[in-house]
Amino acid sequence: MGLRQKIFDSRPYRQIIQRQATGPLRAFYDIPPVSGDKAIRDVEFIALDLETTGLNPKKDEIVSIGWILVRQMAVDFGSCEHLLVRPKADMTESSAIVHHIFDSHVENAPDIGVALHHLLPILAGRVMISHHSPIEVGFLGQACKKYFGAHLQVPTVDTLILALRDVHRRGQPFRPGALKLQNLRKQHNLPPYQAHNALADAIAAAELFLAQMSKRDPKGDLELRDVLR
Amino acid sequence: MTLELSDIRDFLKRHHPFGLLPDGALADLPSRLTARYFRKGSVILDVEQTCLHLHIIRSGAVETRDPSGNLLARLSEGECFGVRAMFRGGKAANRITAIEDCLVYQLPEQDFHALAGQYPQFSYFFELMGGARLRGGMQLIEERDDDQLKLMSLRVSDLIARAVVSLEATATIREAGQRMSSERVSCLLLMAGEKIVGIITDRDLRNRVVALGRDLNEPVSNIMTANPISIRPDAYAFDALLTMTRHNIRHLPVLDDGKPVGVVTTTNLLARQSLSAVYMAGNISKRDTAEGMAEVIAQVPELLSHLIEAGATSQNAGHIVTTLSDSTTARLLMLAEEKFGPPPVPYVWLAGGSQGRQEQTALSDQDNCLILDDAYDAAKHGDYFKAMADYVCDGLNVAGYVYCPGDMMAKTDEWRQPVRVWQQYFNKWIEQPEPKALMLCSVWFDLRPIHGSTEIFDELHRMIRTKANGNRIFLAYMVGNALTHHVPLGFFRNFVMIRGGDHHQTLDMKHNGVIPIVDIARIHALGNGIASVNTYERLHAAMQTSSISQQGARDLLDAYEFISITRLKHQTRQIREGQAPNNFLHPDSLSAFERSHLKDAFSVIKSMQNALETSFGKSGT
Repeated sequence: MGLRQKIFDSRPYRQIIQRQATGPLRAFYDIPPVSGDKAIRDVEFIALDLETTGLNPKKDEIVSIGWILVRQMAVDFGSCEHLLVRPKADMTESSAIVHHIFDSHVENAPDIGVALHHLLPILAGRVMISHHSPIEVGFLGQACKKYFGAHLQVPTVDTLILALRDVHRRGQPFRPGALKLQNLRKQHNLPPYQAHNALADAIAAAELFLAQMSKRDPKGDLELRDVLR
Repeated sequence: MTLELSDIRDFLKRHHPFGLLPDGALADLPSRLTARYFRKGSVILDVEQTCLHLHIIRSGAVETRDPSGNLLARLSEGECFGVRAMFRGGKAANRITAIEDCLVYQLPEQDFHALAGQYPQFSYFFELMGGARLRGGMQLIEERDDDQLKLMSLRVSDLIARAVVSLEATATIREAGQRMSSERVSCLLLMAGEKIVGIITDRDLRNRVVALGRDLNEPVSNIMTANPISIRPDAYAFDALLTMTRHNIRHLPVLDDGKPVGVVTTTNLLARQSLSAVYMAGNISKRDTAEGMAEVIAQVPELLSHLIEAGATSQNAGHIVTTLSDSTTARLLMLAEEKFGPPPVPYVWLAGGSQGRQEQTALSDQDNCLILDDAYDAAKHGDYFKAMADYVCDGLNVAGYVYCPGDMMAKTDEWRQPVRVWQQYFNKWIEQPEPKALMLCSVWFDLRPIHGSTEIFDELHRMIRTKANGNRIFLAYMVGNALTHHVPLGFFRNFVMIRGGDHHQTLDMKHNGVIPIVDIARIHALGNGIASVNTYERLHAAMQTSSISQQGARDLLDAYEFISITRLKHQTRQIREGQAPNNFLHPDSLSAFERSHLKDAFSVIKSMQNALETSFGKSGT
């Protein structure tokens, strides 16, 4: 990963932004991040997925968030949540077509500031799982900066990067589409799922993460730092 | 539940027993689950390991082995494991290994017990996987056919329409006729005090009185049928039907402790049975040609359909269908005696194989033999019995019971011999067993006399029982043969690629399901001197011996009934669709519920085959 991201994930950077943070983000930073030498089986994860109006965190907005917890290497279906978020701008037609979320759906939904009030305490002290994490980190970071004065730094496992490392390690040629969530799941004999919203994608990523861990860590002594992005 | 877990709910709904839960309970379920992933080859649960969840396979496959490493089951998507642990305080009973990469849902123990406590149909399914679950499944299936008539559950006492009409046997024929007329009955019981001594029917009055011009002042005892066959009130209606069919009678007195309490008539039964085996048997005995009999036998598939729809067990259906084969055989033998004259020496005609065991279905060939009195002299009597055997076997073939492909028929010289030769045969089979020869002749260990001098067989039968019973080597060879029939465990869906081989598209319900159980029952019978040849009776009798546990025998009986009835339903479905019935079942044509019970049944067979080896040893093959 790039130098920029290394810096953003570093401890000194966290110490800087921690001082700028306000509101729930401040409380978030008060809880120390999970140590990298912890065995992954002892780490609590939160698989998270966003749906957005576009791909640019600076311009586009979050319209829904779905998440689910992974504890003791098990996906806990009792812990899942799915929030619709009301964007500032009207929904563009193309994003509405992708997500099936229309203005009428999000009319009464909270804005992202309210959603973060709910999410940040859950994210604190946990490790985020995401498939292609720049989207989640970028959009949540922008929203945090806007509402609570600082970027979001959260230890993150990216299932797409893990899959990419698998491909490199095996020295296999790279097939287009091979790193799509649906195709990766298939490789691990996970059932097909209906990619209909952020929560379904979060669950799909969580299950994929379990499969990836089970393959590289049969004895359960892998450390968190080995799998972070 | 968040709406988003509807995928999981829908998955559960598609699989038994979750599909049996009401929508409300089902909707609540996904949020109680956790998911875990097990890569191929990993041990998910080990014996005595703590297991606090019911496991449901979401994708992939696992196998279950008992502590000594025997394969008990292979399970795939939608099936559950760790069930035994739920019933034994959270300790796993068997080792579960992932044979493919698996995603497994886990339902916490307390949620499982809450559901089981609230929904009996749900707990039924799980109560001790294996035997107990099989029984639960069969009850459930029977309940579904509730509106159908169940001759099986109906007692003879339920069929008695009115109080007994009787008369002292000393009365005259006229008095008897007047009594029948005033009471509007078609039969009359004749008594000596409290005791029944005879019966007369409308037909008797017609055939034995009017047609012969008898004096109406004669005592009725001159024309009555003395000591009539009777039945007990607590017998099943089916037994009544069976008795009447076998003896070709239409009235059956019901005696409670020797005291008459009523009469069952074919009309009673017919009111509840559209196509009657009784009438078919009667019809056969009126036919003078094999072609004529073929017309009646052609209705057997339809009869079978009716019986199965009416809720008959496979045991009942087998008895009734076999009774018609017996009637056909007996009728052909009577015709042969008319044609070739009375037999020069006594003989007994025996059926072997499924007819011998009274387990025929819509699809049967003939297995039979002739045992002749030792006074038989081949030079003098050979031609007579050869002609008789040809006549009967050919007739059976025309009537619909095709020739035995292995020539196990009285038509074959080898199987038409006097007692002394048969004694040599059995001596050789038992005392110098050869695996291959034994496999062929297993039909001769299921012999049942059909017609002729039964006592000829009695002595031979006693000899077979005594010799087989004591000969461990012979029994070990029989076990070796029995174990060559493999149970098709784990061949469904994802299992195909694991097992490899040819016949994965269908399942041979006969050779992989029915025959292994028949073999097991035969060995327990031979090993314990049990005279019965019917598989049910053999297993029931074996229960009292030490060679099989009571529970084992009961599980095997349940497995046998389940497999047999599944096979019969498959055949009747083919019959209804105008196809020729066969034994090859597409597992896909079963519901997930039936499939999982079938797997249980096969795992019961598997474990009873293993137990057989422990009890009797194994040789040959």
